[in-house]
Amino acid sequence: MTPAISVAGLTRGYRGHLALDRVTFDVERGSITGLLGRNGAGKTTLLRILAGQEFPSAGQVRVFGASPAENDQVLRRMVLIREDQVYPDFKVRHALAAASWCYPGWSSELASSLLADFGLPPDRPVKKLSRGMRSALGIVTGLAARAELTLFDEPYAGLDAVARQTFYDRLLADYAEHPRTILLSTHLIDEAAGLLERVIVMDRGRVVLAAAADDLRGIATTVSGPVLAVDDFTAGHEVWERRQIASQASVVMVGPLGEGDWARARSLRLDLEPLTLQQLVVHAAAQPAETTNAGSFAAAAMERTSA
Amino acid sequence: MRTLVNVARYHLTQPLIFVGMVWAIMAFSFAVNLAIFRLVPATSPPAHYTGAVSIIYVFFFIMGVFATGRSLPFGLALGVSRRSYYTGTALLAVALAAADAVALTALQAIERATNGWGEELHFFRVPYLLDGPWYLTWLTSFVGLALLFAYGMWFGIVYRRWSIPGNVTFIAAQVTVVLAAALLISWLHGWTGVGRFFTALSAAGLTGLLAALTAALLVGGYATVRRVTV
Repeated sequence: MTPAISVAGLTRGYRGHLALDRVTFDVERGSITGLLGRNGAGKTTLLRILAGQEFPSAGQVRVFGASPAENDQVLRRMVLIREDQVYPDFKVRHALAAASWCYPGWSSELASSLLADFGLPPDRPVKKLSRGMRSALGIVTGLAARAELTLFDEPYAGLDAVARQTFYDRLLADYAEHPRTILLSTHLIDEAAGLLERVIVMDRGRVVLAAAADDLRGIATTVSGPVLAVDDFTAGHEVWERRQIASQASVVMVGPLGEGDWARARSLRLDLEPLTLQQLVVHAAAQPAETTNAGSFAAAAMERTSA
Repeated sequence: MRTLVNVARYHLTQPLIFVGMVWAIMAFSFAVNLAIFRLVPATSPPAHYTGAVSIIYVFFFIMGVFATGRSLPFGLALGVSRRSYYTGTALLAVALAAADAVALTALQAIERATNGWGEELHFFRVPYLLDGPWYLTWLTSFVGLALLFAYGMWFGIVYRRWSIPGNVTFIAAQVTVVLAAALLISWLHGWTGVGRFFTALSAAGLTGLLAALTAALLVGGYATVRRVTV
């Protein structure tokens, strides 16, 4: 089966800077993928190109095996929910009605139950909505469309923690009943981590990491304790980061931990803490451009996969 | 075809802009004109001319601007290609122009039958342009309204893509084209010919010219919308 998304060598240049620099990755059908990275990493540009709203400068983009640009057959199978969506001068229910005409899989029941969940008044003009309410409208549209490919770009700007949890819950529940391919760009990585089956990390227009979320858990560990013990424990491992205060050290060590490692750490009085997804992303995105760590990440992820 | 109809329906979720407001303004303008000509003394021969029917044409331009400048981003967010969006919007323009031209033609017939609403008012009759048989009135109104909508669409698209500087450049480009044509005619000593052409031109002939211009505007807008990003 052709992948939902297949991107090769995708480049998008604007005057004086590269928003996307030879981006290459695939997204298989039926998965939830997190698109992570700092502001300006190129996430929105990438999603806009996937949805045919922007054009690439070079490279190849395939959605369901065909170019999405000006392709109604492909476009109607996907939806892009943007944080900065511009709406015409109409009411919430008009936006939903228009979406219901355009998406064959649209579920009115889901839309109305989501409206109730988010407390979104259908008769309110869109321009009178608060930032959070606007985001909620995007979420309702994106979920109720049940599009085969659902792209969310920072869908919950301005939404409170309770509403965000509602989004995660409803997304998972509906995804379980109606499997589809979801690509979610977000800054709230740890919050969404439980949702993500795969992650793609971008930095300065490049993909620095693409892996299954499970493969990344435990890929690196923070080892802290007395300096000598830490050095002893981490000897022979690749080290990403090292901090030392007086006789205490804290080191980020790459590589999976075995059964014996935990016991050994206990006897050396060391604290072991696996890096969270968010810490991994921060680490991946913090590397200088010329010494990108993608190789080391990929190698570590692969080692983990084969183990 | 279904997608095109969806695009038209999408626009009509704002009935105020595309149906209601234009006729509300027309009604108001008509009432004002009627009141004014009731006050002013009768002329001889009795006839009160007003160009107020042009309001509907101005409003069709505004509709065109809204249909692209304002509504395009969400339209594209609904999984519609630029081509479909543009074609659907243009079809709506044609349908609205045809329907409103019917209304204008009917109102003109009433105006004729009631001797200018009893006040010798020429509101829906415009000398030379909209003064012929009903079918020519319909045709000229239809073409005129569609023309202005198409022109507005192009402005809206340019605004969407290049914002205010784009629209300023767009206007400057049009002025330049007209100026270049004027200069060319002057160099070729062609003004006599141009004058003769327009004095000989019938309202029907002018309508044909406007139809050609509408087609050109639609092609221009289409070429521009294909490059729009949102």
